[in-house]
Amino acid sequence: MHTIVCIKQIIDPEIPADQFKLDASTKRQVRGGLSLVISAYDQNALEVALQLREKVGGKVTALCLGESGAMGAIKTALGMAVDEGVLVSDPPLLESDPFGVVHILAKAIQKIGVPDLVLTGCVSGDTGDKVMGPLIAEELGLPCVTFVSKVEVKDGKALVRRIVEDGYELVEAAFPLVVSIISDDSNVPRYSKLKDIMVAAKKQVPTWKTADLGLDGERVGAGAARLQMRDVSIPERDSKCEILDGETPEERAERLALRLRELKVI
Amino acid sequence: MDFQLTEAQRLIRDTVREFAEKELAPLAAELDRLKRYPEKPLQRLAELGVLGMTMPPEYGGAGADTVSSCLALMEISRACASTGVTVSLHNTLTCEIIYRHGTEDQRQRYLPALCRGELLGAFSLTEPTSGSDAASLRTTAIRRGDRYVLNGTKQFVTNGSRAGAIILFASTDPPRGEKGITAFLIEPLFPGFRVGKREDKMGLRASDTTELVLEDCQVPVENRIGEEGEGFKIALSSLVTGRAGIAAQAVGIAQACLDASIRYAKERRQFGQPIAEFQAIQWKLANMATETEAARLLTLRAAARKDRGLPCTMEASMAKLFASEAANRSAAEAVQIHGGYGYLQDFPVERYMRDARVLTIYEGTSEIHRLIVARQLLSPSPQPSPPV
Repeated sequence: MHTIVCIKQIIDPEIPADQFKLDASTKRQVRGGLSLVISAYDQNALEVALQLREKVGGKVTALCLGESGAMGAIKTALGMAVDEGVLVSDPPLLESDPFGVVHILAKAIQKIGVPDLVLTGCVSGDTGDKVMGPLIAEELGLPCVTFVSKVEVKDGKALVRRIVEDGYELVEAAFPLVVSIISDDSNVPRYSKLKDIMVAAKKQVPTWKTADLGLDGERVGAGAARLQMRDVSIPERDSKCEILDGETPEERAERLALRLRELKVI
Repeated sequence: MDFQLTEAQRLIRDTVREFAEKELAPLAAELDRLKRYPEKPLQRLAELGVLGMTMPPEYGGAGADTVSSCLALMEISRACASTGVTVSLHNTLTCEIIYRHGTEDQRQRYLPALCRGELLGAFSLTEPTSGSDAASLRTTAIRRGDRYVLNGTKQFVTNGSRAGAIILFASTDPPRGEKGITAFLIEPLFPGFRVGKREDKMGLRASDTTELVLEDCQVPVENRIGEEGEGFKIALSSLVTGRAGIAAQAVGIAQACLDASIRYAKERRQFGQPIAEFQAIQWKLANMATETEAARLLTLRAAARKDRGLPCTMEASMAKLFASEAANRSAAEAVQIHGGYGYLQDFPVERYMRDARVLTIYEGTSEIHRLIVARQLLSPSPQPSPPV
């Protein structure tokens, strides 16, 4: 069983809100020296892949498109005991829209060798896109199941638990397939073990550029982008404090409830 | 000069930081209040490979370097200094001494269990009448056939009642003073060994600090570390890594003080604005940050020199001296910035201040470390310290 997990490096969502900045011209987040992490759902996807490997064997490859610093994300994945990593890093490619990104990732997956399973996070942790899994499946001509918490293998087929409102669906699918992963108690990402980190640090990770992938130049880069971010802004937050009086706790609670209803909070 | 961490060092720091923030920091106040030993966090740290992390893989360790060890101790201590000192003693003294000075049989018998966290380590040099003057210890060890018989009382032993492997120093030849001191590896089940009083401390209250009593304690000869009379040399050489570990603990506490103070200064409003807007507060924060960073660099420099096989006695003393005093200054300023709330247990800086206090006392007082640095400077053939 070979699983490729597509991971994205993003600004740590846990940073204080006042450190988050947007570039007015590019409409992108300013990374500066901010802490970078693997997008949360991609971490869940890595965990799903590692659990599957523990049960049925095989190997897990982490694939990342990003700046050269995204090697840190690959190394973090290797520290979680992923077997191999591939970084695709070429500045013009980073200007691609999601369609371009999918073309790049699909070409990289084909170069690695189409695996039994491709996993992506269900939502990009920075832009909020939910398209990677389905678009990669489309590009590779594979079936796709989205918003999945767990993947098992039964009688040579994938049995996946797809989370829906108020419950879940069990979907059977033939390999190879693409699955997008949602966060769940069953796939909380593991901490790296120090022994695995020491191995990961020494592992050689190939970095592929445009020429390595045989990309269609019409489909990647800024010029090919069919989607453009016109405007984006950080919501302004205004906080003010109101103190509600009352003789007894019950009285204060009642006033609080009424005030919250008045503000249409409840 | 290269201040970049290696990939392995960065990943180890980030992993331990994530663990410490998510799993350790939320427990720290309660562990302190209840004086509860951090048993579960230690088990989790063993699973991650932090216990015995500098030991080679063949003994169950991760083969990490001293810089990584210090980075891990900084992150653990930033969340919970009690857990920090527990791990520091285990890693930088017990494991290091067994690995550096133990026989192959001793390494095989103890190190894998210490790395798995099945055994916890302790280091026992201090006695009721022998502190900074460590060579004046009174515990004796008399050889009787294939055993030594130990008698005496040891004090202030971190992990004393929890440890399964205790490096303990006793004199096999009292008239020879420090040249008569020998190191032993004691197991708590050895006949004649018992744990004495558990100390009730100002800070680091979740860590275990006890007296150890040896009454005709029977120690097999194969549990002697090194030769007879080598104990003091072993203790001094190991204290170099121990001191870097305590310096790292101090950096962790100082960083925690700074983090809490920045957070509070932005939230607390007086005279119509956050107190962070006042220059008086800004200067305190700037001083705290500068001193914490200086302490961090001194600590990592001492650790890096050890990793490169360079002399680092003076550097480790400088790091321990400066970091421990900086942590105390930071803790005092953190309480001051928090005002009345800093004096309450509702905010963490009260704990940080109590935890920081012992840093200038244990593993060599500030006075002893100034002496070590001065002696190196005034030595007839001083070793000029290169810039890195």
